[in-house]
Order: sequence, then C-alpha cells, then structure tokens
Amino acid sequence: MRKTLARTAVYVAITLLALAWLLPVVTTLFISLKTPQDYVSSKFYALPKAFGFLVNLKAAAAQYKVQDHVLSSLLYSTVGAVVAILCASMAGYSIVRLKPRFNFALFLIIYSGTIFPFQMYLIPIYKLYNSLGLYDTRIGMMLVYSAICIPFALFVFRGFYTTIPREIEEAAKLDGCGPIQTLFRIFVPNSKAPIAVVALFQATWIWNDLLFGMVLTRRESIRPVMVAVASMMGFGGSSIPLLMTVVFMVSIPTIALFVFLRRYFISGMVMASADQ
Amino acid sequence: MRASPRTKKHHQALSYLLILPAFALVVGLLLLPMAQNLYYSFFQWDGISKEIFVGLKNYLAFFADPNFARSFLNTLVWVVATLAFPVLGGLIIANFLRGLRLGNLFKSIFFIPLTISFVATGAIWSNMFSRDLGVLNGLIALFIPKFKLSWLTSVPLNTVAMLFAWVWQQLGTSMVLFLAGLSTIPRDPVEASILDGASKWQIFRHVTFPMLQPVTTVVITMAMVNSFKTFDIIYVMTRGGPYRSSETLAITMFRETFTMFNMGYGAAISVLLSILVILVSVFYIKNMWKKDLLYY
Repeated sequence: MRKTLARTAVYVAITLLALAWLLPVVTTLFISLKTPQDYVSSKFYALPKAFGFLVNLKAAAAQYKVQDHVLSSLLYSTVGAVVAILCASMAGYSIVRLKPRFNFALFLIIYSGTIFPFQMYLIPIYKLYNSLGLYDTRIGMMLVYSAICIPFALFVFRGFYTTIPREIEEAAKLDGCGPIQTLFRIFVPNSKAPIAVVALFQATWIWNDLLFGMVLTRRESIRPVMVAVASMMGFGGSSIPLLMTVVFMVSIPTIALFVFLRRYFISGMVMASADQ
Repeated sequence: MRASPRTKKHHQALSYLLILPAFALVVGLLLLPMAQNLYYSFFQWDGISKEIFVGLKNYLAFFADPNFARSFLNTLVWVVATLAFPVLGGLIIANFLRGLRLGNLFKSIFFIPLTISFVATGAIWSNMFSRDLGVLNGLIALFIPKFKLSWLTSVPLNTVAMLFAWVWQQLGTSMVLFLAGLSTIPRDPVEASILDGASKWQIFRHVTFPMLQPVTTVVITMAMVNSFKTFDIIYVMTRGGPYRSSETLAITMFRETFTMFNMGYGAAISVLLSILVILVSVFYIKNMWKKDLLYY
C-alpha cells in the first residue's frame, strides 16, 4: 500500500515536471501557427484563427532575410566541422602512429586550445581580423570556427586511432601503402564514430554560436543565423509569431543531427566534458 | 624489410607536415591571441589610440568597481544554482526514471531542450516571461485576476527567470549522463544490499552513489565550467540589464570591451574568467588522464 502510494507520487511529480518541460515547446509551436494580428488580439490559449505559419515564414524571409543567414551558417557549420575532422585525423594519425619527436608535446599544445573560455582570445582575434582584412568575411568565420573545433576533434581522433589494431597497418604496409595511403584508405574510412561525434558536437556548436558571429561580422550577408535571431528579439507584440516561427525553423537542423547521430551522444558528452 | 634512412627522413618530415594544419590554426588563432590577451590586460586601451601600460591597474580596479562586484556575485549565483538544479535535479530524476515504465518517454522530453541553441532557448523563454502576452503571466492570471509581472526587468526576479531557462536547457545533459552511469552499475551489490534489508535511500547513499562517482565528477565539472561561461542566454534575455544588474563575468567582459571600449579592462576580466574555469577543470582533467573514462 505504502509502496504504491510512493510510486504514484513519483509518477505524478515526474509527469508534472515533464509537462512543465513541454510547455515552452508547445507554446512556441502554437504561437508560430498564429498570424501576428491573431496573436496580439487573442488569449494565449485561444486556437489559431487561420494557419499563420507560412505567412510568418514569408514575412520573416522578407523582413529579416533569415534564409541568407541560414545559408551562411550552413556553410560555416559544414566547413568548420569538415576542416576540423580533416586536420584532426591527419594530426591524430601522425601523433599516434608516426610518432615524430615531441608528438605528445605537440598534442598537448593543440589540445590546450580548448581549455580556455572564448573570451580569452576574443579581443586579439577581433584586432587581428581587422588588420588582416578578415573581419566581416566568410573565410574569416570559417577559419575561426575550424580553429576552435580542432582541439576537441584531435582529442577524439587521437583517442580513437590508438584503438585501431596495428596488424591492419602492417598488412597495408606489406601491400605497399605509404603513411598517406594508410591514413586515407584505412584510418579515415574506419573513423565513423569519431567523425560522427565531431560532426554532431562541432557542427551544432558552430550553428548555435552567437559570440563570434556578433564580434567578427557586421554585414547581414555574412552574419550567422543565431546573431540574426538575437537581433529579432526585444520588439514584442506582433513580432513574436515571426520570431517563434524562426526559432522553430533554426532549431530543426540541430534537432535532426541529434536524432540521426543520437547513439554517439553519450560518448561525445563524456569526451566533451574532458574537453573543458 | 627496413626503411632506408632516406625514406625515414621523408617520413619524419611528413609526420610533421600532417600535424601542421591543426597546429598552425590553433596556435595562430587561439594560443598566440591568448598570450596577446594576457599582454593587453596590463594596458589601458580603447581599441583605437595607442595603448598605455598600466601594470596591474586593471586587476586592482576589480576591487573598486561595483559593476564588477555585482557581476562576480551573479556569476557565483549561476554556478550554485546550476549545481543545485540541473545537476542535483538530474541525479534525482535519473534515479527515479530508472524504474519507471514510461522512463524513455520522460527521458526524451527532458532531452528535447538540449538540441535547441541557447539563443533559441532565450527567445522562447523571453516570450514565456513576457509581461503582456506571456504564457506564464497568462496562466497565473487564471488564478489571480489581473496578474502582471515584469519578470525580465525586475531585479532579482530576472536572474531567477533566466535561471529557469538555463535549467530547462541544461537538465537533460546531466540526466542523460547520470542515466548512462547508472546503467553501468552492476546489479550484484545492489541486490546484496536488498537482501540485507537496506532501504532505498541506504542503497543509494552507500552503494549507487559511490559507484556513480566518476560520472558525478564529470557532470559537476562540466556544469560549473559552463555556468561560469554563461553568455548567450543572458545576452538575449536581458543584455545584462536593467542597469547592468544581471550581468555575469562573460557579459561584463563583452560590455566593457565592445560597447565601452575598455579593452584592457575587458582583457583582464577574461583572464580572471579563464583562471576560474581552469581551476575547476584542472583537478578534473588530472583524473581523466588517470582513469580510462573514454569509450565509444
């Protein structure tokens, strides 16, 4: 009797909490369905009078050019993650298998780039970019995002490459594969797990970035998507349905990544935590 | 078959060449700038005119600056609240979810916010807390007529409101990690304690919790580091306002640097923030290297 009572209490408490957790999601979707006029003139629980989602989407595209920011951010996320994966797999392979002198020191130097908060290099990068003409350019954004992703990526790839059996490499050597061929024909094609972890965490991070986008860009055509979302905020009233529609749209890519790569999430989290 | 000295030399060069791109990007864009940032922190500099060496003045200014003191205190509030809610809450929820039949459904629900950016989270919750059309005021007004609270402009309510958004976003992380940790705990010691007549709390306190310790360390460190660095949510929800009342160190650094152009002072704040973050990380990273916590 007491046991069932306790069990019911746990169920009730967790269900209430889960409902509270769902409320903002439901609210966001609900508001994105209302037209701006409908939203400001109706109660928060009133059903939408008409299907406003597409109207909002069109308005957001026309007023805020959200689609341009989305394209920019897609470019930054893809290039940043790909460059980080390439650099990290090459460096990781060399450090683990070719073992040049100072390999561990080189690893530590690169890895140390991730321990510090972004604020620690924000001002000098801003200054550097201004003097090199990289400020407010796509290439500048891709470079800084790649650089920030590399330490974590290297940590992941280095760890993974130590687990690839040496015999495979020896066999490749007998077949006449040099280091480069071994890396690109054997190591990289077998790196599904580290590639997925880096892609999931780093592409998501770049997509979600606000700070570097704000500091290093100015033109709308260069600014990443989260900066655009942030600048849409604070106008209240009739701008809210547009904002909520945009919030929903810009969350789809990261939600999709999580859904597709969810089995890499836990291992990635554990590694990401080592990477603070 | 032995490699000739020439191919060996060739391999040596190649091995450095493979590290070069990663090394160049990280050193050029992160490490050298960090050193430069430390250097700037000893100067008074507005970003345009020539910088003036002031020694430790920027650091000493911390003690006299009420904005800094408030920001530092707010940062500590964020850290403590993060340990209390997403971390401890995640531990409790993970433990309760273990036995529930609908555990996976609840798990997915608490996980959703994790896939949403901080900016989007801030936008969603700004709207929830909005004074006139916000859902929270609307819900409360169903019970208390004419209820209207300006959550985001009254102090200290705005920090509480932002912490709500933060906890909503962060709870899933710790919950998922604790669940993963719980699933690796062997059944035998738990069953042995049940046979010995231990209560649920005793089992948790003396068996489960000690065995969960590596995960707990991960979660605590990560949560502390992340809360020290909080920026996006505050920036989009209050900009640190009203009147700089809800700033944390990351926001104060940004404001001093890019709106007030006290770049030397901003650099000094970022150095302090780095020291705090590294102090938290160091003891953890040491553990990490000792234990083999990495798996796929």
